[in-house]
Amino acid sequence: MSAPSNHPEHRQVAELIPWYVNGTIGQPEREKVEAHVLTCEVCREDVQTERRVYESVASAPGVEYMPAASLKRLQSALDGIGAPAAQAPAPPGREVRSARWSMPWKGLAAASVAVTAVFVAFAAAGRWSMFPVRDLPPNYHTVTNAAVRPPGEVIRAVFSPTIKLADLQVLLGEAQLRIVSGPTEAGVYSLASTSSRAVSQSLGMLRSHPEVRFAESVDTDTRESP
Amino acid sequence: MSLPAKNPSRETDGELLAAIRDGDRRALEELYLSYHRRLARFLSRFTPRYENVEEIVNDTFMVVWQNAKDFRSASQVSTWIFGIAYRTALKSLRRQKNHSAARSLDECPEQTFDPVLEDEVKDWLKQGLDQLPLEQRMTLELAYHMGHSLEEIARITDAPVGTVKARMYHAREKLRHYLPALGGTGL
Repeated sequence: MSAPSNHPEHRQVAELIPWYVNGTIGQPEREKVEAHVLTCEVCREDVQTERRVYESVASAPGVEYMPAASLKRLQSALDGIGAPAAQAPAPPGREVRSARWSMPWKGLAAASVAVTAVFVAFAAAGRWSMFPVRDLPPNYHTVTNAAVRPPGEVIRAVFSPTIKLADLQVLLGEAQLRIVSGPTEAGVYSLASTSSRAVSQSLGMLRSHPEVRFAESVDTDTRESP
Repeated sequence: MSLPAKNPSRETDGELLAAIRDGDRRALEELYLSYHRRLARFLSRFTPRYENVEEIVNDTFMVVWQNAKDFRSASQVSTWIFGIAYRTALKSLRRQKNHSAARSLDECPEQTFDPVLEDEVKDWLKQGLDQLPLEQRMTLELAYHMGHSLEEIARITDAPVGTVKARMYHAREKLRHYLPALGGTGL
């Protein structure tokens, strides 16, 4: 963009050029710009150059993300705060960070560190046996843990993070599957069959799809390499 | 998690927001799914990490959930949501100490290379965009990548129209300074 002259109209038109090239300018302003560039070579070149910038930025390839996993994390965060009607009115100018969805996890992380520190202290003092820790369930799970197997689950799969929701729905429809659980922290979905079709057939359809990273039958007898 | 079924009689954004105001989680999920792509596309222009994109999108919808009652029907729902995302993104991106957009153009050496190929121009353009102050960069992206009008950007950024014009003007001036080839006749 060239330096504008001191003429007020020149500066006014120069400021409107971005919205002239992106096509959102109003009719009166459009006519103003077009009338000005007829007589102003600087602005005429400016429009051409700005159009190149606009086309380059506008045509930049966007990144597609599958929203399901993100939505699940939002839902988990919402579970912790309840409905908006039950909350006190938000004061004006409230900081966004005060309602951060991730804050409960930060609290849990801090609590976890504190609990760990206490246990380490007791273990060092030889008092570990005071706590019946062996009776407690583990605070972790693996993606192949049969104990957390959802009802109806026949296949576990991991999809590309770039798969579109519509494509996923089409794929699952064609494979006659539905999601019964997931995604886990590792991005694993549990799938159930919606028909009497052999699981191996559905599995084959998933594995042949380029957006499927991993697909495995939960029945160990039919497991194959993906 | 089962995916939400497609609703053949899809409600408008305003109706969804009214339901959200009454505590309807399904309405929030539907609004989330309809805006996720647009917001993620915009935000991914500033951060390559999906974790950051997701955090900003989810923070935005947490505010939508909690402040739906504050929405004024005089404005568009999309402008309101993008405004929340804009402010959330500004705070989040400013926290990233290494975000290159926070650097001043003056700190960067002037480029004298004259790119010829279109791909090279795009590379240089991206580098130039990364040098812009965040508010100038976001104004330019809202106009060029998302196609918003001047008035919409003013509402989204909660800034006077004159401020938006000035941010864009300075962004273009710096970009042209950084990318002299864009101002030449060779393109």
